[in-house]
Amino acid sequence: MIYINILLTIQSYAGIVSFIAGAMIVAVVAFLILTSKNGEEKATAKKKVYKTRDRYFAVLITCIIVGLFYSLRALPYSPINSSPDQEVTIVAMQWAWKMAPGRTDKAPSDFQGNNEITLESNKHIRFLVTSADVNHNFAIYNNAGVIVAQTQAMPGYQNELDYIFKDKGEYHVLCLEYCGLAHGFMVGTIHVK
Amino acid sequence: MRDIDSLELKKQKTLITLWSFTFLIIFPILIILGLLMRLNQGEVIDLGIDNFYVLMTLHGLGMAGLLYSMAFGALWYLLSTRYVRLNTQVGYFIYAAVLIGVIGIIITTLIGKFGAGWYLLYPLPFKGTFWSSWATGLTIISLIILGVAWLIGNIHVVYALVKEYGGMSNILGWQYLKKQAVERELPPIVLIAAISLIPGIIAFLAGAVFLIMFLLQHFEPGLTFDNLLVKNLIFFFGHTLVNITLYCCLGWVYALLPEYTHRDWKANKLLVYSWNATFFFILFAYFHHLYMDFVQPKPLQIAGQLASYFSAIPATAVTMFGVISQVYRSKIRWDIVPLAFLLGVAGWAIGGFAAIVDSTIYINKIMHNTLWVPGHFHTYMLTGVILFLLGYLFYIGQNKEVQSKDKLSKIGFWTFLIAAHGFIASFYAGGMNSVPRRYSDYKGIPIESTHSIGATLAQLSTIFISILLIGLFIMYISMLSKLFKCSRDPSRT
Repeated sequence: MIYINILLTIQSYAGIVSFIAGAMIVAVVAFLILTSKNGEEKATAKKKVYKTRDRYFAVLITCIIVGLFYSLRALPYSPINSSPDQEVTIVAMQWAWKMAPGRTDKAPSDFQGNNEITLESNKHIRFLVTSADVNHNFAIYNNAGVIVAQTQAMPGYQNELDYIFKDKGEYHVLCLEYCGLAHGFMVGTIHVK
Repeated sequence: MRDIDSLELKKQKTLITLWSFTFLIIFPILIILGLLMRLNQGEVIDLGIDNFYVLMTLHGLGMAGLLYSMAFGALWYLLSTRYVRLNTQVGYFIYAAVLIGVIGIIITTLIGKFGAGWYLLYPLPFKGTFWSSWATGLTIISLIILGVAWLIGNIHVVYALVKEYGGMSNILGWQYLKKQAVERELPPIVLIAAISLIPGIIAFLAGAVFLIMFLLQHFEPGLTFDNLLVKNLIFFFGHTLVNITLYCCLGWVYALLPEYTHRDWKANKLLVYSWNATFFFILFAYFHHLYMDFVQPKPLQIAGQLASYFSAIPATAVTMFGVISQVYRSKIRWDIVPLAFLLGVAGWAIGGFAAIVDSTIYINKIMHNTLWVPGHFHTYMLTGVILFLLGYLFYIGQNKEVQSKDKLSKIGFWTFLIAAHGFIASFYAGGMNSVPRRYSDYKGIPIESTHSIGATLAQLSTIFISILLIGLFIMYISMLSKLFKCSRDPSRT
């Protein structure tokens, strides 16, 4: 059974805003084609267009500043707070996830972990994400198939992803960076109690 | 406009004819590869996972290379026949080298089964491969050949322009920023060529650095390189290549659209500021590809979003409004060429908007590497760059009298365009539903809704791709039938 997520996800808002912008662009094109039959002196036409451009410019600058102001306040790079309730080490490898509680000083290739892990809801979890071979992407999907958080798993580096699972249930980990043959089958599970 | 003797004109015409026919042959083949990929994702056919990734690599490398080569070839022809002397021997050398590189990639993918994706994200070409080692080596060498050809081409054009217009600052239009009157007008196409090709030179050098690193590791497997550094080099190269492909096309939109509107489109201070700002944004916007690498220094992440957002100002307020002031109440006759240019600008705007949405870190942390990404780049490539190229091909293939009577090309054009937007919509819908990109199929996803949405959208997209191919075929018939008529009737060339 197919259903489309319409409400309350960032994905949906991105889609709706882009659709409206696309429709406005199409409307401008249609207007230009329909009105082009009526000739006008270049100077007069230009004056009208430039007047519209000045207004557009003001709106654009406002949108950019407002957009930057709000969006840059919510970056995923800063920790929720300095000491998380739990740390979880994630090592990606072709083509599985190794997940285990705590930090490790072992090399990614020697690290032992499972494709499944159980975590608690409403706790500040810090995922310490790296890779044993190539680039992968640690993406957490909720049970409704919506991505809730992600970061790259890169060999030689450790990305720290902070997340609080608000809802209990089963979450799935998919790889979102092409990593070779079984990229589409690299699945992990997070049980949230 | 420069005076060009008939012999040189003939040579340049032969060169652009070669580029054009190569493009016209390869383009539908690469679309068919895309069709096969979507059929596989829709579970209509079973290519096998390895073959899917081979096709994905060939489709990606092929399209990126083909579109840049054709955009560059077209820019070369207009510049060489109107503004600056370009050496045809260098032109033929570039064509031959690109062809050799392309043949190399066809061999490594279809025979060697190389399948690391179009940007060969390090260290994937060397680890856990399902292809043979020689295929990796030959791919690297083929890409080096392509890169060298493009680098020589860009350097040659920039050098010739600098010589013709009396210095680098003059081709960047800085004389317009001084108080003194400008002695020699700078055609916008020259300014845009400089703004496109100079970052291109920097990008190809970055490409050369990582390809040489790859080659060293290929011959000495014990050697490894810093992943974050190589990632930066790869995305700088890839992002810039795609960006300048579109900007090369805008060069001829500035040059050719006035022929249809009968309104001049000259360089001025605002245009120069705008395109010089674009130069800056081309170089720094690529950081948005690394948002999910949290170890990348935070100022660079923010620079990526700032450059992406502010790039909207010159693109829309200057170029798009420039197009609007060209056509608004101009009594223009909507033949295929201006139609393709106007709708190409619209496609660029729609794809650009979706790209800016995804360049917002807050949104990217959720939508990175979902189908939203191929959604926006297919928008500005398929309904931007391709429309500009088709417009250009009709421009050089038919005279304006023929264009005005040509109904067939318009039928093909609208069929192509509507189907292209339908095809692209399937990607956006996939992105909105968190469907991951670059999956051979969605059978491995344990979430049933994601699996079924991904597969259903892929099936739907194949219908649109098929219609799109029909539209393209109709345009081909129109284009080629006129060419044959011209060749029979020498007075209509």
